[in-house]
Amino acid sequence: MNPPALKLLQQGDAAAWDEAFHWLWPTVFAVAQLKLQPFLPSDIEDVAMESLEELVEKVREIKTVEELKPLAASIAHHRAVSRLREQFAAKRGAGKTESLNALLGNEENPFDPASGDSTLAKLGQTELARLLGELQSEIKPEQRAIITDFFLHGLSYEQISAKHGVAIGTVGVYLKRGLEAMRRAGERHPKLLKELEAFLR
Amino acid sequence: MNTMNDERFFDLAMKVIAQQATDAERAELNSSLAEDPKLKVEFERLQAETKLAKEVVPLLAATESTAGEFPAYARGRLQTKVRETLGAHRTPLQDAEKKSAWRWQWILGLATATAVMLFLLIPVFTPSDKMIVQVAMLDTAGSTRGANANEITALQKLGTGSTVQSFSQSNELAVWENDWPRKEKQPIAKIIYDRAAGEVRVLGRWDGKPFQKTFLVERDLETTLREAETFILEQTGGGHRKN
Repeated sequence: MNPPALKLLQQGDAAAWDEAFHWLWPTVFAVAQLKLQPFLPSDIEDVAMESLEELVEKVREIKTVEELKPLAASIAHHRAVSRLREQFAAKRGAGKTESLNALLGNEENPFDPASGDSTLAKLGQTELARLLGELQSEIKPEQRAIITDFFLHGLSYEQISAKHGVAIGTVGVYLKRGLEAMRRAGERHPKLLKELEAFLR
Repeated sequence: MNTMNDERFFDLAMKVIAQQATDAERAELNSSLAEDPKLKVEFERLQAETKLAKEVVPLLAATESTAGEFPAYARGRLQTKVRETLGAHRTPLQDAEKKSAWRWQWILGLATATAVMLFLLIPVFTPSDKMIVQVAMLDTAGSTRGANANEITALQKLGTGSTVQSFSQSNELAVWENDWPRKEKQPIAKIIYDRAAGEVRVLGRWDGKPFQKTFLVERDLETTLREAETFILEQTGGGHRKN
């Protein structure tokens, strides 16, 4: 599916928006799902829809159609995080103090809205959108697949090498390039760098 | 990184961070970190960057996701938002108004003779022209799950003698919606029943002024169409006549 014409979207053209909603729905849904599936699965569609509504409000602020998906993703991410925070704040208010990690049974979960330690949640909506746009072009899909397999799926260098049909040395190279992209992103985004430095202390 | 080859250091660091290192590999890395403070700083950086990568990479994958169908029920709510925020569906009318504004600027910039011409044109653009009512239905479900006979009949009652245009693609409907009479003062109303969104939209102009409203089909289509007709009558000062 091709991206719709930005000018028509900014003019409020109904047919262009129909196309845009079909094109952007998988993005906002997948981002909302990423955050909400373990805790608030019934809120996923609602957050996805609210994200598209917010995107409509912001469409006149963007300059190229390529910015649409990262912005939609950023909006959905922030909305999902807010929804989780509200949910857990309400639980705390009701005397229920268990953390998300405890609920997950996973102390290594990189995101814990209860403690607010998500690095990305500290970025503003526009800054996160820009970061996503930059990383989309910097980290190639094969590098992403290897990073995901190594850090999130727990596969070894050997297993990744066999799965992707690349040399074991290439696995390390891809991981290194991926992390270098993170380093450059930190340098470009001062808030992100601050968060990374805070983690180092 | 003097004490250890860069590549070896990186691979060991990755394995330790991902908790995949053997005891021997962990000991080898620890020993190097203890010997070289620069390596220790680099290791901490890699830990931070890994933390970021673990958050960002799934988000990138989600951003590029193409799986999942946009639910039909969401369309009405979102298109309403578009209309409220960006003035959608008024676009053709706004375009017409813009064109009109340009013409006016052009006309006003001309000599007195043009003013005389304008004076002569005014009677041509009076709302005394016959009201045009056009009716269309968008049914993205297609003919197998299409509208029932009662719905068609209810829609046909709106535009006497005219056929109800039926569309299965929203872009085709958009073309129809954007097709307005050239004569800018021609009174017209377009009534669109969007079956999937469960709404009836009214767009029109009377005396050169645009009007529009969306009605949700809450009880039944006939009731909603009556509300739409009442709205048109209000907008046209009762001058709404079917042709």
